[in-house]
Amino acid sequence: MTLLTVRKITRTFGEKETAVHALQDVSFDVEAGTMVALVGRSGSGKTTLLNVIGGLDRPDTGTVHVDGVEVTALDEDGLSLLRREKVSYVFQTFGLIPVLSAAENVGAPLRLARTPAAERERRVALLLDLVGLGDHAGQRPGELSGGQQQRVAIARALAASPRLLIADEPTGQLDADTGRSVMALLRGVVESEGVTALISTHDPIMMALADRVIRINDGRITE
Amino acid sequence: MKLPSPRWPSLRRPVLHWPVLHWPVLHWPSIRGRARADAGPLVLTAVVVAVVSALAGAVPSLLRSTADEAVRDAVRRAGSNADVTVTARWEPDDGETGRIRMPRLAEDVTALRERALNELGGGLRAALLPPVAGVITPTLKVTDGSVLRTLRLGYLSRDGGPAVTWLTGGEPGPTEEGFPEVAPSGPPWTVSIGLSETAAAAFDAEPGDHIPVADEKGNPKDVVVSGVFRPADPADPAWRLAPWLLEPVTGADGLGSTRFGGLLSAASLPDARLAFGPDDTKRTVWFSPDPDVLTWESADRIAATAVTLKATSASSSSFDTASTWNTQLDAVLRDVREQVNAASAQASVLLIAVLTVAVLVLLLAAGLVVHRRTPALAVARQRGTGLPVLAIELVIESATVALFAAGIGLAFARTLVSQSVSGNGPQPSFGVAALVAVVPVVLAAVMAAPVLAVIAAARATRDRRAPANRSARRRVARTAQMRRVAGELAVFAVVAAAFAALHQRGVQPGAAVWLPAAAPTLGVLAGALIVLRLAPVGAGFALRWAVRSTRPLAVFGASRVAETAGRVLPLVTMVVAAGLPVFAFTVAGTVEAGLRDGAWRTVGAEARLDLAPDSLASPELVRRIAGQRGVSHVVAGQVIDGARIVAEEVTVSPRLVIVDARAFRELLEDTPLPDGGALAGLESSASPSASASAPATASASALPTLFPDKSEMSDEGSSVPALVLSADGGMRVGMKLQLLRDDAPAVALTAIGTAPAIGGAPDVVLVDANALATAGMTAEPDTIWATGPGAAQAITTSGVAGDAVIRTEILRERHDAPLVSGLLRLAWASAVVMLALGLLGFTLSAAATAPDRWQTLTRLRTIGLRPRDARRVATAELLPLAAVAALAGPALGLGLAWQTLGPLALRLLTGQSADPAAHLPWPALIVVSTSFLVVALAVAPAESALRRRQHLSEVLRVGT
Ligand SMILES: Nc1ncnc2c1ncn2[C@@H]1O[C@H](COP(=O)(O)OP(=O)(O)OP(=O)(O)O)[C@@H](O)[C@H]1O
Ligand SMILES: [Mg+2]
Repeated sequence: MTLLTVRKITRTFGEKETAVHALQDVSFDVEAGTMVALVGRSGSGKTTLLNVIGGLDRPDTGTVHVDGVEVTALDEDGLSLLRREKVSYVFQTFGLIPVLSAAENVGAPLRLARTPAAERERRVALLLDLVGLGDHAGQRPGELSGGQQQRVAIARALAASPRLLIADEPTGQLDADTGRSVMALLRGVVESEGVTALISTHDPIMMALADRVIRINDGRITE
Repeated sequence: MKLPSPRWPSLRRPVLHWPVLHWPVLHWPSIRGRARADAGPLVLTAVVVAVVSALAGAVPSLLRSTADEAVRDAVRRAGSNADVTVTARWEPDDGETGRIRMPRLAEDVTALRERALNELGGGLRAALLPPVAGVITPTLKVTDGSVLRTLRLGYLSRDGGPAVTWLTGGEPGPTEEGFPEVAPSGPPWTVSIGLSETAAAAFDAEPGDHIPVADEKGNPKDVVVSGVFRPADPADPAWRLAPWLLEPVTGADGLGSTRFGGLLSAASLPDARLAFGPDDTKRTVWFSPDPDVLTWESADRIAATAVTLKATSASSSSFDTASTWNTQLDAVLRDVREQVNAASAQASVLLIAVLTVAVLVLLLAAGLVVHRRTPALAVARQRGTGLPVLAIELVIESATVALFAAGIGLAFARTLVSQSVSGNGPQPSFGVAALVAVVPVVLAAVMAAPVLAVIAAARATRDRRAPANRSARRRVARTAQMRRVAGELAVFAVVAAAFAALHQRGVQPGAAVWLPAAAPTLGVLAGALIVLRLAPVGAGFALRWAVRSTRPLAVFGASRVAETAGRVLPLVTMVVAAGLPVFAFTVAGTVEAGLRDGAWRTVGAEARLDLAPDSLASPELVRRIAGQRGVSHVVAGQVIDGARIVAEEVTVSPRLVIVDARAFRELLEDTPLPDGGALAGLESSASPSASASAPATASASALPTLFPDKSEMSDEGSSVPALVLSADGGMRVGMKLQLLRDDAPAVALTAIGTAPAIGGAPDVVLVDANALATAGMTAEPDTIWATGPGAAQAITTSGVAGDAVIRTEILRERHDAPLVSGLLRLAWASAVVMLALGLLGFTLSAAATAPDRWQTLTRLRTIGLRPRDARRVATAELLPLAAVAALAGPALGLGLAWQTLGPLALRLLTGQSADPAAHLPWPALIVVSTSFLVVALAVAPAESALRRRQHLSEVLRVGT
């Protein structure tokens, strides 16, 4: 079953002479339950592509369908709902909410989804255990290491049981060992939670862990 | 979110030989670039400095000119009470057997004038108009049997004036030339006088006619008309002293009487002296103050001179010809001085409040600027820019802004002052006082940003990680906590000192004015510190509730609130900026309410008629007034000031009020004045027919028993119940009192209750007219009180000689008095400025937290928060600060007003006998509270609108 369909996406920044063609005629499909690595040199358009797929940015042309929903046709509220129910992100810079504890960060998507408190607490505990941070539930992001923060971010991304997990260089700010354990974690959760993952990376190990590698060069898919 | 560094055109090169001390090299492009990048907050800072400089600069000068105006106003109002008079006896005129005619008395009058001018001294002489000297004889009755007419003779001299032209006949001449000796047993000595045209017509007199007159005891006098005159200038100030010389005056010598005047000349003055007893006529010199040259500064010296003159003259023997000085001018000036002191105390209280709010808001603005610059400052530091260079560059920027703005503000203040001081008074000096008031604001504007920035830059490059060791961490925390407590204790100590100073000596001019004057501001500040302590506790509770609540958004707002609740400056500024406007509004409201109340108390009714001496309020008059349209109650009574009453063997002299108790109670109930309750206790003996039949709704107490049939009176009075009011406790409820009378036995009184302060008098004894009549004392009503919308009209048009005292007129007069209107304007202006500053401060502190707030909200957007919910969370974050300001501020402002208005002596301005109770204009309170909430509700949509064009992707790209 195809979870993600990307068709003829172009995205150009700027105009005329200064125009940057970040994405040019990008099309591909991703099967449900697979882990896909998006690989390319710096500036090749990885972040732009992931933003367009997740609805954080709009393409100039082309369509994106996630789980049957045409992302490129949604308005702001529709996109909010999409992010609540189907698509979640893990950012290179973690993107946690500084004033909330690790547990509250993980529980935040569940709050937005109005999950009953008891169920929310159960799931938060489960996810924190899954990412190995059961003992750090009460700590704030500022009190966690980078690797721990990224693991909280992954737990948060999985909280609302999304269909598609988008991760933009999730190990970019981590040292090699930590990065590797985070990647192993991602691989594990894709399996255990049954989500589809689209992960941009420079890391060969990540590529090795992935079911499939999509290569992008100057805004074009080279596969 | 933009990175600040690219907005700065260039960052400094590293300083190469850093260990070598050299003059710091400033980097002008950095200075310019920074200023341009943060133009918004800098402009706001400039506006705050300019507005506050204008206000603070104008107030001292305006206060000064208002004080001058108040002195002039008081002296003008005092009229002849402010006159300085000098009297002296004549040289004795005893001869061998009788009295000798002294032909040079006019020269003696002139001599007294010269002497008085010499004794005056320069300071006082400059403040007084040229004197008028003269002689005025006792009153004579005209004995032609017709209507009641009186005659007084007067001689006036003022620098050769006042000039008259003789229409018929001529100037009064001497009855006999030289020094004849007059036998005491002889016929009355003839005196020649001139008559004005009106007087001559009234007497139907021609030159040579005699006017039949006699003195009080019925001894006839011989007055002959020499001529009929017309004044060259009826407005000559000399005539003011004896207006009856020109036109007959009614009511001056009792009801229904008319006083005429006979003009004496230098030649007939000696005859006038001989016609009366040896000491019945005196030479007098009148000085009237010249209000136009009086100033606040000169007032003090003048009052002192007047006191000295009175003191020295009092000591001189009464049998020589030394001059006796008399004036109320010193008392008039002392009163106005007290008022000016009270007003300037209140003004400095308000000014300190405004300056405090302004400084706090400037600190907030500086905090915002520094917050935005911190990353770039850190980069600059890392590249090697020294802190001194950074500090100097920042001071150059802030000093330019602050001094420029202060200059504009002061220039504006200056035009304001010179425009508002119109008329002939001297231009107010725009001096040091104005500059001194501006200093704290300018200093804050110049120093705040550089100091905060240097601290931030130093921190950014210093390794300030918390120590790993747990006990070391705890020690650091404890030190910080101790420091904070010590700071708070210091503030509370200063507050306590300020309150002690305020309550002990009020705000008297002198050395440490600012401490007591700062008491209300410091009080609000201390309250804000307490709120600051409570805020994190409250936020913690809210967070715990939010975590448990099913509302998905509550927890996000509450966590942000909990995060920011401990920030000192925004919270303190908001609470102070909401509290002090309420304080200022309360000052204004209390003064306004006090003025209304004071006017009621002074008049005692809607309108009052103080009948001229010797005239009585007849039942017909009372009934006539009660019959007028719109008059609801009319009561006549007798008011005797300085009655002699023995209370426990001590004689006191209170105001004795004799009135029909029931009618007076009913009248008082028709006014906002307190009480008639106690009056009810006097009513038992009152006759049931106290209120005479009156048309329409008006009830008139014509006091039938005030004019009782003599036969009904019982001579042996049992004790008459009375109400007493005593400032010093000399008369108390339950006491037996004796009302002393001249030609009759004392009346026994029993104090059974507390009397109202009739006319604002401190000591009052009030008795029921009927009860007093039963005890054998008949009242002679001389005062009429009336209430109802038509009362003022009815009293003014009563057609009876006397003073009509109208409540609304008294109120308007006091309201328009320079000090009162000036203070009211200042109170309103400072309240509005402080409120505006507070709201500006709110937006500044919102702007300072905006980046963090929207970072959180953007992150929440990536997990599915809708845009409109993001606005709601932002509002939920901002609202608590506004709510705390809206609740705690006004509560503190009111509390402080309640605590400090007493020592500020507003009564001196409101004309009340006691300090007015704090009175709050509710609409103002509501405006203050809601404006903070409204701004809080408006900020989040505005912020989100400003960020509308930013795509989530762009926001996230920079890693926030
Ligand atoms: N907001 C923007 N405005 C202008 N150009 C942009 C913008 N965002 C991206 N670009 C350009 O689009 C191109 C693709 O950028 P993108 O961030 O997608 O690259 P990337 O593959 O994610 O690189 P990296 O591996 O370094 O993160 C780049 O050339 C970049 O300069
Ligand atoms: Mg990228």
